[in-house]
Amino acid sequence: MYAAAFDYVRASSWSEAVDLLGELGEDAHVIAGGQSLVPMMMLRLAAPTALIDLAGADQRTIELRDGQLVLSALVRHADIEHSEVVAEHVPMLTEAVRQIGNVRVRQRGTIGGSLAHGEATAELPSVALAHKATVQVLGPDGERTIPAGELAVTHLTTSLAPAEVITAVQVPVLAAGQGSCFVELARRAGDFAMVDVAALLTCAGDGRLTGARLVVGAVGHRPADMSEAAQPLLGQPLDDAPVDEVARTVADEVQVGPSTHAGVAYRRQMVAVLVGRALRRAGAAALCARHPERA
Amino acid sequence: MATEAPPRPARTPSGRTSRVPHRDFVEKVAGTLPYADDWGFPGMLHGVVVRAHVPCALITSIDTEAARQVQGVRAVLTAADIPHNVIAEEASGLGIDQIVQPVLAIDRVRYDGEPIAIIAAETPGAAVDAAALVEIEYEDADGVFDTEAALRDGAPAVHPGGNRYVTWRSAIGDVDEAMARADHVVDETYQTPRVDHAYLEPEAGVGWVDSDGVITLRVSTQVIEHARQLADILQLPHSRVRVIAAYMGGGFGGKEDMTVEPYLAALVWKTRRPVRMVWERQESLLARQKRHPFHMHYRTGVTDDGTIVAQDITIVGDAGAYPLLSSRVLFAGAVNSTGPYRCADARVESVAVFTNTVPTSAMRGFGAMQVVFGYESQMDRIAEQVGLDPATVRERNFVERGDLRVTGEEIDTEPATRECMRRVLEELGEPGQPTNGGRVGRGFACSMQPYGRSVFFADRASCWIGLEQDGTMVIRAGVTDLGAGQAASLADIAGEILGVTVDRTSVHIGDSALNPLTGGTFATRQLYMSGNATVKVARGLRSKLAPVASDLLGCESSELEFAENRVAVASDPSRSISMAELSRTAEARSVMPYCHDTFDAETGEFDPSTGRGRSYPDYTHGAHAVEVEVDEQTGAVRILRYIACHDVGRAIDMQRVVGQIQGAVAQGVGYAMSEEVEINEGVMSSTLFANYLMPTSVDLPDIDAIALELYLGKGPFGARGIGEPPIGPCAPALASAIHDAVGVRMRRLPMTPERVLTALRQPDGPRRPGS
Amino acid sequence: MTAVSKQPISLQVNGRATDAWVSPNLSLLELLRVEAGAPEVKLGCGEGVCGTCTVLLDGEPVNACLMFAVQANGCEVTTVRGLAPDGELHLLQQAFLDHAGAQCGFCTPGMILTSKWYLDRHPDADREELRRALAGNLCRCTGYTKILDAVEAYRDVCRREHDGD
Repeated sequence: MYAAAFDYVRASSWSEAVDLLGELGEDAHVIAGGQSLVPMMMLRLAAPTALIDLAGADQRTIELRDGQLVLSALVRHADIEHSEVVAEHVPMLTEAVRQIGNVRVRQRGTIGGSLAHGEATAELPSVALAHKATVQVLGPDGERTIPAGELAVTHLTTSLAPAEVITAVQVPVLAAGQGSCFVELARRAGDFAMVDVAALLTCAGDGRLTGARLVVGAVGHRPADMSEAAQPLLGQPLDDAPVDEVARTVADEVQVGPSTHAGVAYRRQMVAVLVGRALRRAGAAALCARHPERA
Repeated sequence: MATEAPPRPARTPSGRTSRVPHRDFVEKVAGTLPYADDWGFPGMLHGVVVRAHVPCALITSIDTEAARQVQGVRAVLTAADIPHNVIAEEASGLGIDQIVQPVLAIDRVRYDGEPIAIIAAETPGAAVDAAALVEIEYEDADGVFDTEAALRDGAPAVHPGGNRYVTWRSAIGDVDEAMARADHVVDETYQTPRVDHAYLEPEAGVGWVDSDGVITLRVSTQVIEHARQLADILQLPHSRVRVIAAYMGGGFGGKEDMTVEPYLAALVWKTRRPVRMVWERQESLLARQKRHPFHMHYRTGVTDDGTIVAQDITIVGDAGAYPLLSSRVLFAGAVNSTGPYRCADARVESVAVFTNTVPTSAMRGFGAMQVVFGYESQMDRIAEQVGLDPATVRERNFVERGDLRVTGEEIDTEPATRECMRRVLEELGEPGQPTNGGRVGRGFACSMQPYGRSVFFADRASCWIGLEQDGTMVIRAGVTDLGAGQAASLADIAGEILGVTVDRTSVHIGDSALNPLTGGTFATRQLYMSGNATVKVARGLRSKLAPVASDLLGCESSELEFAENRVAVASDPSRSISMAELSRTAEARSVMPYCHDTFDAETGEFDPSTGRGRSYPDYTHGAHAVEVEVDEQTGAVRILRYIACHDVGRAIDMQRVVGQIQGAVAQGVGYAMSEEVEINEGVMSSTLFANYLMPTSVDLPDIDAIALELYLGKGPFGARGIGEPPIGPCAPALASAIHDAVGVRMRRLPMTPERVLTALRQPDGPRRPGS
Repeated sequence: MTAVSKQPISLQVNGRATDAWVSPNLSLLELLRVEAGAPEVKLGCGEGVCGTCTVLLDGEPVNACLMFAVQANGCEVTTVRGLAPDGELHLLQQAFLDHAGAQCGFCTPGMILTSKWYLDRHPDADREELRRALAGNLCRCTGYTKILDAVEAYRDVCRREHDGD
């Protein structure tokens, strides 16, 4: 359990972090919570020559601003888990972070770190994609915004350029009439996910579904946006909607790669099961949001 | 000998919960107990093992030059540097040829992770850096990676002499004739997995050369007697190697064979400096011995009323690349394969087969637990065949005292399987409700598992007990403590006889140079052996001191009562002396206040050519009942209730007995539901601990453990061993409950959600109970 | 291979100031066990999943094996020994003793710290909530039942003391 030697510096701001990344070269790496990076270093699967500690680069703020939840990249999973603002406005995030690792991992792991690391079985990339979140990025050429759908490239690879860092995450909050659900299948609580599904449904005043976002994660090398396949749900109340058919279609179409804990066929079946469950729970939540007295 | 446990005298410690706890437990909660790695020396070197990363190959060259150049490296050893490069395991004790397992591989690799070199360096980082620079060149060699492939004609041989390592055969009566007479024959095969001990404390130790030049290791180990093997490896006299056992952070059989010892000893011997070695968890998962996967074929013949008339059993165990304790594990599987059921016509064949995979060896249950899944699954199928309920079928067949086992030996203590089964079924009560939309089912299983080492081993344990001048008591016994109170039990037992309280007792454990040897902590033998040794020595000391006490007190020896650190006249307790006074007076009269003796276990003969003779000294019987909820969409199984009942004869400490049952059940549940070390073509699918699916707190309900004290066993005060037996019934009890819930019978462990779902979706479909 | 210069760090361990010169790649676990005289913090897996390296860092539980010592510069670390500064067992430790919550004891420091941390924040947690709170602390010896007995007993003792105020 001995990481290779490296230089260590602390960044006191995002811009300093970017400057340091430029100075220290392409084998330098930023570290926030380290719950993904450090195990790799300890197992000698990663050997950065320098670590730039982001701990003091920003506050861990969660703010509601213009219909979006804006989270500093340094916000920890535990902060999200215990945040009332998040629970009220982006409950999918609350559901998802509860699935992450264990209590110690959640104390250190950050949302920025999770999205930047790009682990295929991670929960937050699915949530980000379902909510059409965007990440704020700072690099040597300045700031830019990356939509979640363009961030994850493949397992452990994102579209971030070498000296770029995620500084914040912006998540559109649930509007009235919207309901969401995140479900995951793992062998034990906190284990790497075998399948995860993030569903966000929009429901009109008369109970008809008018919008569907559906993401299936952990089965491919990045979360898959399957919202197209959910379109047949629209135009009718959830009870009349072809949920099981949609679930089967999604399961048939989504790319499923190998996993340590279960075969491909089983996981594909579980995609159908979880999509069905997620859609029904999201639909119930949407209806409740539209008609709170039916809660 | 009375078979019922006598009513308990008022002053015994059993069952009391508010009592002085033994020192090691206080230190554990305080965080002050020093484990093997919590100990060091100034200038200590750090050792690592360099391992092969191919499962089967010839080694064409090993280049250590670059490794030696790393700053801080003090030694790099390969096979040629080891004086006697052999890990010698005692074989079965029956003269079976030994296969040579090298300490460091010479010219071939037989499993992924096999040790090839060892390095000692000034810092752990330097050692790891150097290990990465050892260059090993391989030439491909064909291997075999499962027992089926290994047993085929012309299969590549793991060792000269072929892949069939040892075969045990036992038979009683005429099984073919009896099977032909049977009204029904239930014919099934069962498969159990390769699993890991997964103790929380990694393999670790520190070695040094002491002021007398004795190579001394302080290690996390179940067996200090390995000192002799270490001496042989280094070609030193046995008296020049000493092994001290630290309190272990778990063992379960995984520290019964040597782990770090030979590598640590070699580096100490070479450098003459203190050396520390701790294995990484991933290294342990990759390369440290596992439990034997068993493939079991059962043919059971029964009459229409469910009486067993014939049993024909074949067991194939995967021994991995080297024997270690395989012959004994397959022996245990063989002689326990018929379970607690009478059968006058039975045959069993049990074979250990080599493959190019990580060697398999001892693990809690040791062959006798795998077969519980076989024989209990058979009982449920028999019940279904003949249309009787599973409890009735078992009652019809339970062994009684005096019945013969497949080896021809007689059961000579009273079995309590019936009582345990009835108790758990009673406790199960009314069926529960689903908590999560699944289907609820209930099941149970019984078992009979041995405690104590095979009797043809001439097992023995010694002990020394003495009184200090202030009346405090010292016990010296070479026991090793794996957290089940091995040390504490000796204090309790001696205290019950000599009346010295636990807070005035010191137990010195596990030191091959300073303590009388007791044999290792395995085979659920420690309480039986060192406990009985402690009884013998404590009684011996009491007898030795009695004349002095009776002289001081003016009474007969028979009137003496030893209690609460004093000796009193039973009929007049106001006449008493302290243990301090007794000790000093005795010494003044040259009656030295200590005693040393040996307990010899009953012995017996076993003839491998006929498969007849005595196997184990005794057995612990039990039954478990469970309630589960099966998610029919995912195959996931949630355990709602778990009840385990065993007859322990006599509990030295009831709280510890209950703890042992609960802990064994937890391991049994992991074995049944989720744990598996998967190896494909000799390569492990993952060596991450995150991927080794042992149960967490949320994977288990509260475990209701019931320890009955019904029929005396052969341990101290009539105790029966409890460390291993509760691990056996878990898998079949859960399989039985799953069948009750969703109508499928699982034949393979672990019963993962995927396997349960696959079974549910078979073309012939599940059969609902009652359909 | 370049030699990386050591850095000075300063932290509190169970209230004691601990200063050290460390290579950045020294883990917090190693610092605590070797430099800070706290071998009660264990190495069980090195992956952050077993919980034997649990320490409270500025009051929150973290994996000491997945942090570098330099990251903990300026922080307060509490280990299980920090609960019994005068050598007298903390009530939670006593509860583990009374209810046989420790067998081999290797998971015990992590179990105790995590239970205490959780109950400090959720003093009315019920048994199932406590079971979930300890899901990240593995035990191979006890089957968890007696650990939960001990933690519940401690919770009840705290309630009685609280109610008695």
